[in-house]
Amino acid sequence: MKYLMLHTVDESTLPETEDGGVGEELTAWVDEMSARGVLLDGARLRPIADATTVRAPSGSPLVTDGPFAETKEQVAGYDVIDCPDLDSAVAVAASHPTTGLGAIEVRAFDDGMPDPEVPDQVAEGKRRYLMLVCADMRRAMAREAEADTSEPAAGDESDDGEDEIDRWIVDAGARRIYGWPLDLPDRAVTVRRVDGKVVTTDGPFAETKEQIAGYDLLECTDLDDALAVASSHPVAGGGVIELRPLWA
Amino acid sequence: MPRSDVAVALSFEQSWGRLVAGLIGWCGDWDLAEECAAEAFAAAVPAWEASGIPDAPLAWLTTVARNRARDRMRRRTTESVKLALASAAEDEVAAAEDEDIPDERLRLIFTCCHPALPMPARVALTLRTLGGLTPAEIARAFLVTEQTMDKRLVRARAKIKHAGIPYRVPPPELWAERVEGVLAVLYLMFNEGYAASSGDSLLRIDVSAEAIRLTRSLVDLIPGEQEARALLALLLLTDARRPARVRDGRAVPLAEQDRGRWDLDQVAEGARLLEADPPWGPYAVQARIALCHDVAARPEDTDWGAIAELYTLIPPTPVIELNRAVALSMAHGPEVALPLVEALAGDLADYYLYAATLADLFARLGRSAEAAAALATAIEQAPTGAERRLLRERRDALLDVSGA
Repeated sequence: MKYLMLHTVDESTLPETEDGGVGEELTAWVDEMSARGVLLDGARLRPIADATTVRAPSGSPLVTDGPFAETKEQVAGYDVIDCPDLDSAVAVAASHPTTGLGAIEVRAFDDGMPDPEVPDQVAEGKRRYLMLVCADMRRAMAREAEADTSEPAAGDESDDGEDEIDRWIVDAGARRIYGWPLDLPDRAVTVRRVDGKVVTTDGPFAETKEQIAGYDLLECTDLDDALAVASSHPVAGGGVIELRPLWA
Repeated sequence: MPRSDVAVALSFEQSWGRLVAGLIGWCGDWDLAEECAAEAFAAAVPAWEASGIPDAPLAWLTTVARNRARDRMRRRTTESVKLALASAAEDEVAAAEDEDIPDERLRLIFTCCHPALPMPARVALTLRTLGGLTPAEIARAFLVTEQTMDKRLVRARAKIKHAGIPYRVPPPELWAERVEGVLAVLYLMFNEGYAASSGDSLLRIDVSAEAIRLTRSLVDLIPGEQEARALLALLLLTDARRPARVRDGRAVPLAEQDRGRWDLDQVAEGARLLEADPPWGPYAVQARIALCHDVAARPEDTDWGAIAELYTLIPPTPVIELNRAVALSMAHGPEVALPLVEALAGDLADYYLYAATLADLFARLGRSAEAAAALATAIEQAPTGAERRLLRERRDALLDVSGA
């Protein structure tokens, strides 16, 4: 199964360097997990001062500075890992140096995700952005909880949504490297280290109205190009999209 | 030689924005462009004093700034910069005429006002890179420390670089939205400067005048944009009243201002700018409202009915509704306006002019106790000392009349 490790740290406590001050440990972790075939993709993100958010309450996108939610800890990077089950994914996360700086949210991707194919080199004249797709998922979570005990309702609207997503993917073309939806946030596990011991808690890294529902990795010429892709995403109408430049 | 001092100052007014805009386009590095532009201006003073003002001052400044930039780039060591240097070094030929230098200020304006930057950073960056104000001057104007302002500017430039905000004039599909964004920045800049000019500190840089100058340049650069012209009109028609706005450190309300001190040239220029046909955007409507006030020789000559009507043409925000209610109270009496104002209580509870308006309506209706209570709230919420003083005087006058 594929899991997302979402690294979250309080930026104000971090040195502003590419590796967040954990260089050697990080390299060792990446080398080991790559060699074991566990690590499929990952990157550090530029700080939230470089984040841009798009909301489109009525179809005309509203672009603002900053992340999608004001939280004590901010998303600072991500890794995609392939593990047999949640316990082993949590163990992989627990061995990552971020647990000494902040927390790692571990959440499964929805089923059927292909291995991400991300070229090592950024294409000439392009930049990469992580596009976090966020939405108020409380209703989806409630529906899912309901569905555990009853038959799924007929005439589910999700097919429409998938068509829209497919059209969006076609339109984004080469500007989108890959992307996949995540399992619901209430099924996430958050891993931290407290007094040297690994502690796991149930749920996402922060309780916010909107939660990360999935992401896409973009490769665009500039921020306006990425904003055009983000504003045409079907969720933009009812949710929020955060664009974060990758640490180049 | 004072003459050349003047020339540098003049050239600064006209050339700074163009120089910086051109340098950023040339080297892609905002910090470098600004540093070298500042050095070129500094170098101009002794050079021009010694050998006179060059025929093409902007070309002179551009050449000096580029040479400084090349020196600095050479001192850097990374390969990518060396590559950039190699391509930049190819256009060594200095333009002989200022007219030969393309005006890239539009790219600069749109980038400074990009919606991905925080609003305070957009204002500060525009004042710095286009207006040529120093960080210290901008800091004083906005009552923050120089360190805070420096940080704000550094962070904004860093975001432009790291988030990949393009240095360009927006394409047609983004044009309307981005023009609106630029106008919003200039309007905010003007208002902040205007509010500060009635505050306790009179020694600050005149940000409103700067906003008017920048809006004027924008109108020259995009003459087809009616709302840009309307914004310039609005700023001029508002600013025309400035000489009468403050007396002895006290804000003077419109009705009590010495109208003889209003700047009639600015009123005339604003009126000329509005000589276009409808449809009117929000700035054009607000400018026409300002004009209604400016052309009234005495307060009682004000066409309040027309003003109330104009307010219905703007998307109704709570503040717009409050202003419309005031106009209605002047045209048709306080009893008509009171329910409209009271309905805004939820939206405007923290806005001192809401409480002040309520107080005025209560007073005119003879409800002194309620008027005094509303004034007490307004005094607490007023943003500057001049406004607090004015409100206190009103309260004292009210208490005298009611004998309390």
